[in-house]
Amino acid sequence: MILLQCPCRYLLQVLKTQVQNLEKGVELDCQWVEFDDVRYHIQATVKNPNILLLSLSLPTPPPETVFSGGLPQGAIEAIKAAYGVVLQILDPPRDGFNLTLKLNLSKMPPDEEHKQALLVKIASIREVVLGAPLRAVLKQLVSRGVKSNLNKLLSLVHRPNESFFVVPQADKVTVIFPMHFKDSIDTVLATSFLQEFVEARRTAGLGNAPPCLWSSSPPQELKGASEIALSANAGFVSFVIFPRHVEGRKMDRTVWSLSTFHAYVSYHVKCSEGFMHTRMRRRVESLIEALDRAKPDSERADRPAKNKLSIKDGRGSFNSR
Amino acid sequence: MDPATARPAVVIDNGTGYTKMGFAGNVEPCFIVPTVVAVNESFVNQPRPRSTKGSNWLAQHSAGVMADLDFCIGEEALARSKSSSTYNLSYPIKHGQVENWDAMERFWQQCIFNYLRCDPEDHYFLLTESPLTAPESREYTGEIMFETFNVPGLYIAVQPVLALAAGYTTSKCEMTGVVVDVGDGATHVVPVADGYVIGSSIKSIPISGKDVTRFIQQLMRERGEHVPPEDSFEVARKVKEMYCYTCSDIVKEFNKHDKEPAKYIKQWRGTKPKTGAPYSCDVGYERFLGPEVFFNPEIYSSDFSTPLPDVIDKCIQSAPIDTRRALYKNVVLSGGSTMFKDFHRRLQRDLKKIVDARVLASDARLGGQQKAQPVEVNVVSHPIQRYAVWFGGSVLASTPEFFTACHTKAEYEECGASICRTNPVFKGMY
Repeated sequence: MILLQCPCRYLLQVLKTQVQNLEKGVELDCQWVEFDDVRYHIQATVKNPNILLLSLSLPTPPPETVFSGGLPQGAIEAIKAAYGVVLQILDPPRDGFNLTLKLNLSKMPPDEEHKQALLVKIASIREVVLGAPLRAVLKQLVSRGVKSNLNKLLSLVHRPNESFFVVPQADKVTVIFPMHFKDSIDTVLATSFLQEFVEARRTAGLGNAPPCLWSSSPPQELKGASEIALSANAGFVSFVIFPRHVEGRKMDRTVWSLSTFHAYVSYHVKCSEGFMHTRMRRRVESLIEALDRAKPDSERADRPAKNKLSIKDGRGSFNSR
Repeated sequence: MDPATARPAVVIDNGTGYTKMGFAGNVEPCFIVPTVVAVNESFVNQPRPRSTKGSNWLAQHSAGVMADLDFCIGEEALARSKSSSTYNLSYPIKHGQVENWDAMERFWQQCIFNYLRCDPEDHYFLLTESPLTAPESREYTGEIMFETFNVPGLYIAVQPVLALAAGYTTSKCEMTGVVVDVGDGATHVVPVADGYVIGSSIKSIPISGKDVTRFIQQLMRERGEHVPPEDSFEVARKVKEMYCYTCSDIVKEFNKHDKEPAKYIKQWRGTKPKTGAPYSCDVGYERFLGPEVFFNPEIYSSDFSTPLPDVIDKCIQSAPIDTRRALYKNVVLSGGSTMFKDFHRRLQRDLKKIVDARVLASDARLGGQQKAQPVEVNVVSHPIQRYAVWFGGSVLASTPEFFTACHTKAEYEECGASICRTNPVFKGMY
């Protein structure tokens, strides 16, 4: 319900209309920004409607995160594996972006079902690029192959100048999120939400979900991390991922949910604030009704419409302070 | 420097019928969705349980919370309400004014998180309002934006000024003109001089896009077309959007239709929502009679009978005398319901007629000693008319001055929602 979908809605819409209107050829040049400061830019020309240029800019990594050539490790391989011949990486990327891809729509698979699936996959580009290092770690967990970086703290970027941490172990992977929030109210709401989140994990139906923990102080695993990463104001959440959570088709969803966990919590916090306001408005409305009912009949008859309180008047006096 | 100013601002134009949203600097809005929320209200009106005993109360409470979270907007909402009876459609904006703030808040929430998928803390926001919005509702908008969404900065712009700003780039830098904004729920004629709204001369008409739809629905029903009643409004809306045009003369148009029905009468095909059986119906005179409502309102309503060109003329005549020539010269159309083919030609012709008659009369009165200079009448139409307001917002929000004109979060925390009472546009940003 309140889950963030993996494919970018607007990008998918643009791709779909572009594929439908291949013959017409539409001039297209627009850019937009998603949560966690991921920017997109897409460009198409009338002359060559088969070619789309898609550029992507990623959040600035904090110093402890390793980026190679402006991209997370393993991203280029991940792109090549996911899209094959349809996409081509341009070097150097467009000014101000980390990655520019040339999309060749004439190389799309002919049958409708595969085509749609591929479009959705292209719209999920951010997951492929940003989730690449996490995916590599989880893949190792599934294959149970030779582990090179056991118990080594890995930091992966998920927000501008913020990262989360992954500790690969022999039979599990621990993922730790230091939670930062700007606003003080958000911090309080997020803290109680996360505590509740951990509680909810213990209910009967969720036995198979990844175990999760919340603590206000940095956990043991984060010993070597930098000061800034350890100064989270809403505590630390850690998940333990077992091989059963990343088997087969579950992999994509796990990678997406983990790499957008912060956005998910902040979305929830905003929603809770909204719903609290709804409740407060309803409450005020009912209290005012009670006040109106309590008035003696004579007074009500005297000044009928003028003196009738409603939520709007109440609000007016509220704000004038 | 605030990093949010480096990102494009989010521009959301909430109209009665459709909401246009996107990022500043683009030519087109990302999404145009119907302004409607489908809410699951099955738990709202249930009586509170008397006893607060044990898990029963808790279960009911959390079911209520879940129902609260269960809503969707736009096309999705329309589809959802058709297929299931647990959802109620709620239209948060009526006649250009926000009526239901709960629904509006939810609508914005979905717009931001589900459609644009941006973090509201990262972007400045530009919202729009009709010229007649009360200061209280502007305050309320500010309250929701700053309290719920934590936006770093907010600017609430007046729609007609934005519509003028949209023309700003395409031709010349003209911030004087009359904006004829015919939306789905409200029609306003607003004179703007050098970017200032002449508040006392604003005229409103009780006929809007929705009335055109209703009129078409009525015409089709009276002719006995076999449209399922529960679908007839939607069909009328689609017919309006796809087939309607403005004619230059009704009588001639009737003749044309009668002579060559094959050329003029269109077919509408649909499927019945209940049974799924296909049906088809004819679309005839309503193709030109629909838009005619603006020029001859008496064919639709008996309460209001002043044609749109007359209203525009009266509006300009009530404006300060030194602005009138400039106003006649730049009549700008905006809103989805001005999209009918040749609408601007008809408007220009009718308006010119009124003005010329007045000039002739004054010439005759003066006995031919002095000739008045001819008045230039110009109705401007551009291809982006449907979302001209949004485009104007996008242009405005991509200028660096925009960020200095915004109300910021710090100001809000210092002074409260009252900072939104006054609108900087009225002070003159240009």
